[in-house]
Amino acid sequence: MLTVKDLHVAVDDKEIIKGLSLEIKPGEVHAIMGLNGAGKSTLANTIAGRDDYELTSGSIEFEGKDLMELEPHERVGEGLFLGFQYPVEIPGVSNLNFMRTALNGVRKYRGEDEVSAAEFMKLVRAKASELKMDPDMLKRFVNVGFSGGEKKRNEMVQMAVLDPKLAVLDETDSGLDIDALKVVADGINAQRRDDTAILLITHYQRLLNYVQPDVVHVMIDGKIVKTGGPELAAELEEKGYAEVA
Amino acid sequence: MGFEEVRHMPDTVIDTYQDQMQQLKGSLPGWDSARDHALDRLRTIGLPTTRGEDWRYSDIKAIRSTAFGLMKTPARNPEVPEALCDGAARLVFINGRYHEGLSDLGDLWQAASVRPLANHLMANADRVSEMRQGGDGINLLNTALMRDGFVISIPAGIEIDDPIEILHLTSDAEGTSAHIRHLIEMGEGASATVLERFVGDDTGYWSNSMLQARITEGATLNHVRLQEEGANATHTATAMVSVGAGGNYHATNISLGGSLARFEARVRLLVDEANATVDGVALAGTGESHDMLVHIDHRMPNTTSDQIFRTVADARGKSSFQGKVTVATDAQHVNADQSFKALLLDRTAEANAKPELEIFADDVKCSHGATVGELDEKALFYLTSRGIDPTKARQMLVEAFTDEAFDRTGNDALADGIRARVADWMINHTGRSND
Repeated sequence: MLTVKDLHVAVDDKEIIKGLSLEIKPGEVHAIMGLNGAGKSTLANTIAGRDDYELTSGSIEFEGKDLMELEPHERVGEGLFLGFQYPVEIPGVSNLNFMRTALNGVRKYRGEDEVSAAEFMKLVRAKASELKMDPDMLKRFVNVGFSGGEKKRNEMVQMAVLDPKLAVLDETDSGLDIDALKVVADGINAQRRDDTAILLITHYQRLLNYVQPDVVHVMIDGKIVKTGGPELAAELEEKGYAEVA
Repeated sequence: MGFEEVRHMPDTVIDTYQDQMQQLKGSLPGWDSARDHALDRLRTIGLPTTRGEDWRYSDIKAIRSTAFGLMKTPARNPEVPEALCDGAARLVFINGRYHEGLSDLGDLWQAASVRPLANHLMANADRVSEMRQGGDGINLLNTALMRDGFVISIPAGIEIDDPIEILHLTSDAEGTSAHIRHLIEMGEGASATVLERFVGDDTGYWSNSMLQARITEGATLNHVRLQEEGANATHTATAMVSVGAGGNYHATNISLGGSLARFEARVRLLVDEANATVDGVALAGTGESHDMLVHIDHRMPNTTSDQIFRTVADARGKSSFQGKVTVATDAQHVNADQSFKALLLDRTAEANAKPELEIFADDVKCSHGATVGELDEKALFYLTSRGIDPTKARQMLVEAFTDEAFDRTGNDALADGIRARVADWMINHTGRSND
């Protein structure tokens, strides 16, 4: 589903990702673990298409398409989703309007009809309820005045509404208490199917207690230095990055 | 000031206006001497220049140096735009003249007095002096050349829910000007919404209107202006308002059109507990200049005012705001707030903000804030990363930015109608990204 080959990415002329390769197949959950500054978020943002990240060499293919040829919103239309480490507050835009416009944007890209107001409300209410989000938060401005946990929960509701093929979740577990972490984990597990894939980017093993990955990668200084099964996460937790790598 | 202001205006222009004024004599009962006085004064002070503080952001050199003709009725009536929402009445003006056939007074005449200016002046010779106004050269020219307008009097205790729309249409009016004057009188405890809408074609005309409003004890006037003049038009408008005890003036000015557009609101809070909220949104397209000046004069204690202005400017566009608040000696316990935020869609866009507070009382609360910024790149990326295309994402952010200023239009259906016009503006002016 996602094939990253010898990726090099620079930000402000400084190379952050230094030759990274990755292959994710449908039905798989991958975790990339690494310390701050390893380039994890740069990888997530490059996949999503942030324009200040310059791909200097290598390639990213999503279902056989060159992602770099697509604008960020087109990537979402193809079935990609980025869960933000720091979801953005947007005063003046209601959560409902935001999600409906997003869903219709994706439908338009795919040549499908727009969702009706009634149909959308039914969908979003169901997803919010599954993720235990207070329905009043749907009417509030996007992420404005939300706690850290509420913002991450909101990311999960957006993911559920857009139902992506591949979800890249950047530090979705950071800053969460244990209850919020479980809710987020439930959201991720609900998105886990034979035809979808998930890339978890995380600093700690904590989330992986609730979402069992198929493959774990260790990222240091812009490269994947080690790949293994779920046991690798536990080993990292125990011994630390320096020893494992 | 101890010296006479210098006039920066050719004699030939003044002479042309003098001739036009002579032609108009006798058309409005009892008004001729007001015309003479205004033109004499204009001959002395001329039209405003950017050297004067109030006009520093609007350069009307083109208007000062060229005489505009009197606006004529077009050969064909322009298309009348759909109403923004259900209304109590619709008064249609075409090229500065009232058009009875296109207007619809609905049931309003049963509840209120609604009549053309000429009829009002004819019936109330003793009240002509009330409509005399000083002001700057722009206002004086309106007094000298005014031909038409409406007088709307809402009797005490009457509440009109749906907006009374005054629609000003201009077409085929190259090089000509119209000087309209409306008068709104709110009886004790009355309430109404007056929507002034301005729509025009691409000819180079000048629309110069004035609205006078007298809001008596406990009355509320919602004054909503939707300015969608043509791309080559100059729009100047002044509202002169007095508010009595416990009365409310709520103005919302939405400025979307014209190459140069200006709205001035001069509000006097004359008695205890009088309140004014003057809000505005200006969207300056490529090369346009939109200017709003508000002067709120707190004459008495316990009066309150609040202003929310949001402006957006595209390439080489300019948005300006001057908010003056004066609090008289002994006008204690006044509360006055002002918030101005400008959004620049392009590096060549310009925003000006000038708050002016003149406070002569010592127990008052006055606040003001001004910010100028660009579209938030992080917010744009967040929206596009959810599948929203960049044009739509920019529209959403601009609409969100302006939205706060529509909250007090006093009528939800009207507010929605205005939001739709703003959304349309965004579709036609998609804005540029900053890269």
